[in-house]
Parts: sequence; C-alpha cells; structure tokens
Amino acid sequence: MELSVISVNLWQIIISLCNLLIIFLILKKFLFARVQSVLAQRQAQVDDIYAEANADRRDAGEMKQRYEQHLATAREEADTLVRTATQTAQRRGDAIVQEASQQAAHLKQKAEEEIRMERRQMLTDVRSEISDMAVSIASKVVEREISAEDHASLVDEFIRNVGDDQ
Amino acid sequence: MDEKKRARWLDVLYLAMVIVPFILCMALKIATTPASEGITVTGAHVYFIIQMPFAGPAAFSTLPITESQVNSWAVMIALLGLCLYLTNGIRVIPGSRRQVIAELIVEKAQSFVNDNMGERFAAFAPFVAAIMGLSAFSSLSSLLGLYPPTSDLNVVAGWAILVFCLITYYKMKGGFVNYLKGFADPIPVFAPFNVISELATPISMAFRHYGNVLSGVVISTLVAAGLQGLSSLVLGWLPGFLGEIPFLQVGLPAVLSLYFDLFSGCLQAFIFAMLTMLYISNGFPEEAYEARQARKSKAKLA
Repeated sequence: MELSVISVNLWQIIISLCNLLIIFLILKKFLFARVQSVLAQRQAQVDDIYAEANADRRDAGEMKQRYEQHLATAREEADTLVRTATQTAQRRGDAIVQEASQQAAHLKQKAEEEIRMERRQMLTDVRSEISDMAVSIASKVVEREISAEDHASLVDEFIRNVGDDQ
Repeated sequence: MDEKKRARWLDVLYLAMVIVPFILCMALKIATTPASEGITVTGAHVYFIIQMPFAGPAAFSTLPITESQVNSWAVMIALLGLCLYLTNGIRVIPGSRRQVIAELIVEKAQSFVNDNMGERFAAFAPFVAAIMGLSAFSSLSSLLGLYPPTSDLNVVAGWAILVFCLITYYKMKGGFVNYLKGFADPIPVFAPFNVISELATPISMAFRHYGNVLSGVVISTLVAAGLQGLSSLVLGWLPGFLGEIPFLQVGLPAVLSLYFDLFSGCLQAFIFAMLTMLYISNGFPEEAYEARQARKSKAKLA
C-alpha cells in the first residue's frame, strides 16, 4: 500500500518535528559541545603559552637592562679607579720628588755650613799660627822686647795684610 | 594499548551506525516493494498502520509507519554515528583528520549562523546544522535508491512547524502586545493579510522543500519512462532480448540525478536553513525586547 503524493497525517508531522529536535540535541551534545570544549581548551592553552612567552621576554629584557646597567657602572668604576690611582701616584711621586729636593737642599745647606765653619776654623788656626810665627819672626828680627801694645798692633796689621792677600 | 583497541572498536561501531541503517532500509524496500508496471508516482510505501486512541478522520486517528519515517530514522542514526565517529578520540592537540573535519564543520556552522543571525543567536548553530544535516542527508538518501523522506510533506511540515514556533516565540520576546501590534502594520485593515502571510510562512517553507524534492522524483521517473519507450521504439528491431534492453536510459538519468538528488537536495537544505535563520532573526523585535528588559530591570530595582 502506498500513500498518495500529498497526504497529511498529524502524528507523522509531530514525529518529524520531534526528530528534528532530537537531531538538534544530538548535534549539540555529541558534536558542538565536544568540539567547542576542545577548542576552548586549546584557546586557553595558547593563551597560557603566549602569556608565558611574554613574561619570559619581559624578564629577559629586564635582565638585559640590568646587566647593561651593571656593565656601565663597572666601566665607570674602573675608570674612576684608574683615575684615582693615577692621581694618587702622581701626587705621591710629586711628594717624593719634592721631599728629595728638599732633602738635597738641606744637605747642600748643611754641607755649605760645614764648609764655612771649617774654613773659619782653618782661618782662625792659620791666623794664630801666623801670629805666632810673626811674633817669633819679629822677635828674631827686632831682637828686642817690644811692648805688648806694639806687639798686638803689629800682629793685627800683619794678619790684616795676610787676610787681604787671600 | 587497551585504550587504543577500545577506540578502534568504537570507530567500527560508529561507522556501522552510519552504514547499516541504510543497508537495512534498502533491504526492507527491496523486500516490500512489489514489481510495478508502467509509470506510477506515489507517496511513501506504508509498512503498517498504528491505530491511535483518538476518534476522527484518518489523518488524526491513525499513524501509518511509512518508508519516509523509517528512512528518516535511518538518517538520524547515521547522523548520530557520524557525530560520534568524528568526535571519537578528540584531543586538545588535533591528532586525526576526522577531528579537523569535525572542527571545520562546527566552526563553519558557527560563523555561518553568526554572520546571518548575529551574535545574539549564536546558540542556534547546532539547530541550523541539524536542519541542514537532516535535510541534506534525507534528500541524498535517494542516491541509494531509497525514498527520500524530504519528498514526504509530513516530514518537512514538521520541521516548518517547529521553525514557525521558534519564529513566533522570538517575535513574542518583545511582549505579547507588541506581537499583536505587529499584525496591524501599517494600518489595522491589513490585519487579515498579515495573519495570512504569517501562516503562509511555514506552509511555503514546507511546500517549497517538499515540492522541489518531489518534482525531482517525478521528473526523473517521467524521463526514465520516456527513455524506455523511446528505446523500445528506436531499438526494438534488435534481435532477441537485445531489443528489450533500454539502452537510451544510460546517461541522461544519471545527469538528472546529479542535479535533482545531489545539487537540489543540498540546495534545498541550504535554503531551508537560510530561511529559518532569516525569519527568526528578522522577526526578533530587538528594540522592543531591549525596552522590555530595561523596564523589567527597573521594576526589579524599584
């Protein structure tokens, strides 16, 4: 038995309506819900990975900056160290040279003083010797006693002449 | 290893769910269809009739279980099997081609619905996919020589009535008074015409789909019969059984089948889904709905 081409049956319509509803639920539960949950999970994973990568990159940038800063300060420190060392050395050198020259000057002065003293001593010695000599010579020459006054004036005159000769 | 084995067995089961119902339907059809003489264009074959406990005309008191119903159940089981097969062993990191296909279907359906209906109706994606899948698979079942359920008016009418209920439900979201006011547009005299056009929506949807598929069946049958007649007329002089073979039936019916079964079947599924989306999203009174929601929230606050 066949239905006619156009036949209407209420129950068949209701069954068909329910069929569509059932297929809707099947697709929703077994296809869309599953796939969408997987897609959401994947999205979450991708987001996580991106966030991690961004954090890592930020950390690396910070670290790089810090290292660069450290490097710059280290270079500066080295420069100051070298500069201060040079300055200290210069200063110390100057001080040493100055001290040395001072000492040299002092020594020279001392030496000169000694020479002068020695010379004076020598002169005094020479003078007394000469005066003795003169007295003895004069006494020999004159063969007489001369007064003490004459004697002294004679010696003085003699020495002056000796000194002038020198 | 055990998990893998289980997944493989499930795959086999799901694929069987896709294939076996159609084979059973074909066997049932072959077993119950009597050899017919001449050209007959009839509705679905009736397997048996269930008496419903209601008095009245036959359309109300009886439920004939027909070929179209059995075939649509087969399509449903096949769709369920297909869904389960595609999502079997689905993972966050895609590992199989079928998962890619499943994701493609879901994403395409979702973007299709979002484009045509807007984000507000994003939850309609499975429904639209259900309409397209059911309609397309039903029409395509004629490729297997089965009676396509979509060429039965009752089947398509059921879908159209469900869609009509949804359209009306969303129209009433702006308030019942607003819904009634819509019929008096642009002037109250037009009310009867508006009611008729409203009721015509499901009827036109049902008849468009049903008529297109049925006309394909009718034209295919007529062309096949005509070619048989022409063949016997032109090649009838061949000796023996050679004269009885309808050689001219080779070729043209295949092309017609390509158009009516494959192209028209998919196109009608697309059109039905498209109309569903457009009617529902166009019927939704967005401004009235929002005004109503604002009023409601204000009343709740007060």
